[in-house]
Amino acid sequence: MGPQEHDHDHDHPDDEIAQAGRPGYYEVMETAVRELLIEKRLIEAEEIRRQVEVLDSRTPALGATVVARAWVDPAFKSRLLANGRAACEELGISFYDDTGLIVLENTGQVHNLIVCTLCSCYPRAVLGLPPDWYKLKPYRARAVIEPRAVLAEFGTVVPDDVEVRVSDSTAMVRYLVLPQRPAGTDDYTEEQLAALVTRDTMIGVAPATIRTGSTVR
Amino acid sequence: MSQTEQLLKRLPNDIGGEAAGPIQWVDRELEPWEKRCHALADVLDFHKLINTEEKRRGVEALGAEVIGNLSYYERWIAAFANILFQKGILTPGELARKMDEVAGRWQAESTGEDSPPARP
Repeated sequence: MGPQEHDHDHDHPDDEIAQAGRPGYYEVMETAVRELLIEKRLIEAEEIRRQVEVLDSRTPALGATVVARAWVDPAFKSRLLANGRAACEELGISFYDDTGLIVLENTGQVHNLIVCTLCSCYPRAVLGLPPDWYKLKPYRARAVIEPRAVLAEFGTVVPDDVEVRVSDSTAMVRYLVLPQRPAGTDDYTEEQLAALVTRDTMIGVAPATIRTGSTVR
Repeated sequence: MSQTEQLLKRLPNDIGGEAAGPIQWVDRELEPWEKRCHALADVLDFHKLINTEEKRRGVEALGAEVIGNLSYYERWIAAFANILFQKGILTPGELARKMDEVAGRWQAESTGEDSPPARP
């Protein structure tokens, strides 16, 4: 995957349909493949519509509820670390594919980072679709060879005495980082804690801090 | 290692550990057709027509030049078409005819020549 993909000017061969505001060649291909499969009764239009809704319903807010629960409930945290998928399902988060989920706990000794070097495998059921930078070459190529330098580009400096562990996702096994609970949050409610947990903290490129949350306490 | 040895040992997707530039700190909302393409991938997986690993290999089989020039979901739909041809589920001629029909329908719709069914 090269940087070209975000530079290319969508100059598709079929000028007739590539003019501004008109669907491009690949959009036509997507619709044609879908309609042919529906005509052959291999898939149903309703399934596509429903799956678009499922994709829209998955955001990092789901992962944040999982993390906040783990922070306040040690028994849940144990179950989450033992079987990530089962523990998320316990909270009503369905997995719409047959992927497994391994939750990696950040501690004072270990900082975890997730990547998919081959493509873009990501814990979609709990975080939604990955950001573009996660799918592009610099992150995929470098996260496994110089994670500290990559983290520094995100503004995250991990102390030398903390081990950095990088987990490379696969089609069947996805990872989610359980960030450390920030200091000074002892009196926070579960909901207030969840507001401190962002997408980047669960990928492992940033720590959760009192300032990371989208809502002010 | 010679350049051709490198080509054999590392397929286009296998970039972990390679040198690369700074993190490209970009993100954007998907276009509607890209989201439908993603939903199509999931539905193909549900029906065991194309699973995630076949999809990844299908993208790899497009080759480095195509991979380098197409965007993420452009690669996906191109790979799906090829895999469906290989499995005998679709034929290239069938897809070409359907694409002409879809393009013609949208063209007519945009020029208001007809009242074809609404786009999904």
